[in-house]
Amino acid sequence: MKVNWQLFGGLAIFYLIVTVVYWQVGGEPVGIGGMLLAAGLAGMVAFYLWFTQKRIGVILPEDSTTAEISDGAGELGFYSPHSWWPLPVALGACAMGLGLIIGWWLVLIGLGALLVAVIGMVTEYEKPIAASSH
Amino acid sequence: MTTYADIPTQSVLAPIPAKKGKIFVKWITSTDHKTIGYLYLMTSFVWFLIGGILALALRSELARPGMQFLTYEQYNQIFTMHGTIMLLLFATPLFVGFANVIMPLQIGAADVAFPRLNMLSYWLYFFGGIMAFAGFITPGGAASFGWTVYVPLSNATYSPGIGADLWLVGLAISGVGTILGGVNFITTIFTMRAPGMTMFRMSIFSWNVLLTSILVLLAFPPLAAALLGLESDRLYGTHLFDPANGGAMLFQHLFWFFGHPEVYILALPFFGIATEILPVFSRKPIFGYKGLIAATIAIAALSVSVWAHHMFATGQVLLPFFSFMTFLIGVPTGVKFFNWIGTMWRGHVTFETPMLFVMGFLVTFLFGGLTGIILASPPLDFAVSASYFVVAHFHYVLFGTVVFAMFAGFYFWWPKMTGRMLNERLGKIHFWTLFIGFHLTFLIQHWLGIKGFPRRYADYLATDGFTFMNTVSTIGSFLLALSMIPFAINIWITRKSPLVGVDDPWGYGSSLEWATSCPPPRHNFLSMPRISSERPAFDLHHPHIKTEGH
Repeated sequence: MKVNWQLFGGLAIFYLIVTVVYWQVGGEPVGIGGMLLAAGLAGMVAFYLWFTQKRIGVILPEDSTTAEISDGAGELGFYSPHSWWPLPVALGACAMGLGLIIGWWLVLIGLGALLVAVIGMVTEYEKPIAASSH
Repeated sequence: MTTYADIPTQSVLAPIPAKKGKIFVKWITSTDHKTIGYLYLMTSFVWFLIGGILALALRSELARPGMQFLTYEQYNQIFTMHGTIMLLLFATPLFVGFANVIMPLQIGAADVAFPRLNMLSYWLYFFGGIMAFAGFITPGGAASFGWTVYVPLSNATYSPGIGADLWLVGLAISGVGTILGGVNFITTIFTMRAPGMTMFRMSIFSWNVLLTSILVLLAFPPLAAALLGLESDRLYGTHLFDPANGGAMLFQHLFWFFGHPEVYILALPFFGIATEILPVFSRKPIFGYKGLIAATIAIAALSVSVWAHHMFATGQVLLPFFSFMTFLIGVPTGVKFFNWIGTMWRGHVTFETPMLFVMGFLVTFLFGGLTGIILASPPLDFAVSASYFVVAHFHYVLFGTVVFAMFAGFYFWWPKMTGRMLNERLGKIHFWTLFIGFHLTFLIQHWLGIKGFPRRYADYLATDGFTFMNTVSTIGSFLLALSMIPFAINIWITRKSPLVGVDDPWGYGSSLEWATSCPPPRHNFLSMPRISSERPAFDLHHPHIKTEGH
């Protein structure tokens, strides 16, 4: 994962340099602010990736040039086979957006629908507390 | 003679669902990255056709002096929606579509990292797009302030009406979908590569998807901020973009802080498609793999620092800084051309339809790039700013990359997506009508702009001397539109043609998607070859040729 955090770290440093140059040659505040935020975003991702890599500590099979496909054997993870929930979440969000334009009553309906749909989507594969392992 | 026949070259095909009645529900509840990718590709292609029809309306009106078909207000609405649709509802989601279908296959992943979030992105795009377009059915008509939404033109005083509000909110919602898509792709590439698929063995297309997604994260939040801020000005009377306190410039800065990276969000994935196709039809590995990646990173980094070259004519930006940065971005783009030509150099180049479209891309994009260098120079930009020269420039850049590379990608990956080849002869007819139609429409607009015809004008006088060039351009645009007919016929006649039956119908495929069946099974791979270079599928199918691995 070294490449990953170096990529984002490099971008952060580059944006920081550009910010300083732009500021020094007399750039306006919006651009300085924007570039600084871009540097911050890249830096934040770089830090997270670096920190995670440090915590894992081992070279993962996808980062090893000599890995065999069997090195990645085991459970691939859980994949949702299909889901109805994204559709109502998007519809709820759109109703809220539309409500901004045509009236507060629709914002409230949209917000309610969105909350229900988001809870539904997030908890779709949660087991009830009694049935879970802890 | 050496023979090698014991390597299996075909994986087992996935069973095809039998009940047609359930297909609709299966598609709208899908979490399969390929199905969602197809939804994206189909929806964005429909928007391409709608945007194209709007373009024909504009060209028809401009063919002769005088107003024949449209009113001024209708003309303004149509060019606004043409720009909006082509950039934000066609080209951007088209990237998401190709990335969804191809990228997980290329890195050997079973799906994207967040399959349900992926579907949520699609629905936000789908409904957001419809909302932006729905302005046409409101009494005041659709948004008519140009896709650049400059204030004060777009504020509540000068652009009243619900159409503009629908446009702003619809695009903000659609933009959230794009941001979620970007997050999804970055996570997928960082965490779901197959064993041995190191970052520097990933195909160039996947690299470009990664860098495009990073640009999405940098560019789309400022757009959302600008659009929602403007909406707040319109609805609640806030003064964020009030010209009295510098709001007009603030808006332009925010808009172009999104707008320029957006150009590269549209360009980079399509560069990636071209880079996938060139080595296959040149029978050579990519020339300068790491150089290409470095050039792409440089483009992605620099593209965030050139935004104000769209604002030279305001007289309120630092000309030397932005001019220099813009010239600088031409360097990595030149490196890419060098690598593309180097890939073909002394290869066994054959001109199947995908390769033909890539040639169209190279020629057209080069033209657009060169006029871009002209526009990067402030004195020249002042002379042609907001004229048809600029219109010609950005159509060469965007049509060259997006549309030519899109069709290249369709013809190239059609067997991977459907299991069937498209017809070569119709493909070639399609290419030549598109190519000639495009250049007939837009080449002449360079001269039209230099003679002084301004963009976004609905009309001109017969004495202006623009009539002949406008008529030629309009004829070209109809030829361009006609080129969609061979493509439609092609899809129709090949819908039941025999399955290709092999993993790699082109014979020289390099990246991992050519090592699984056509179309791939639900979780993409039943077995995966060992990945020891950046050309795993080529190594599998041609084991006697050793690729020098990284």
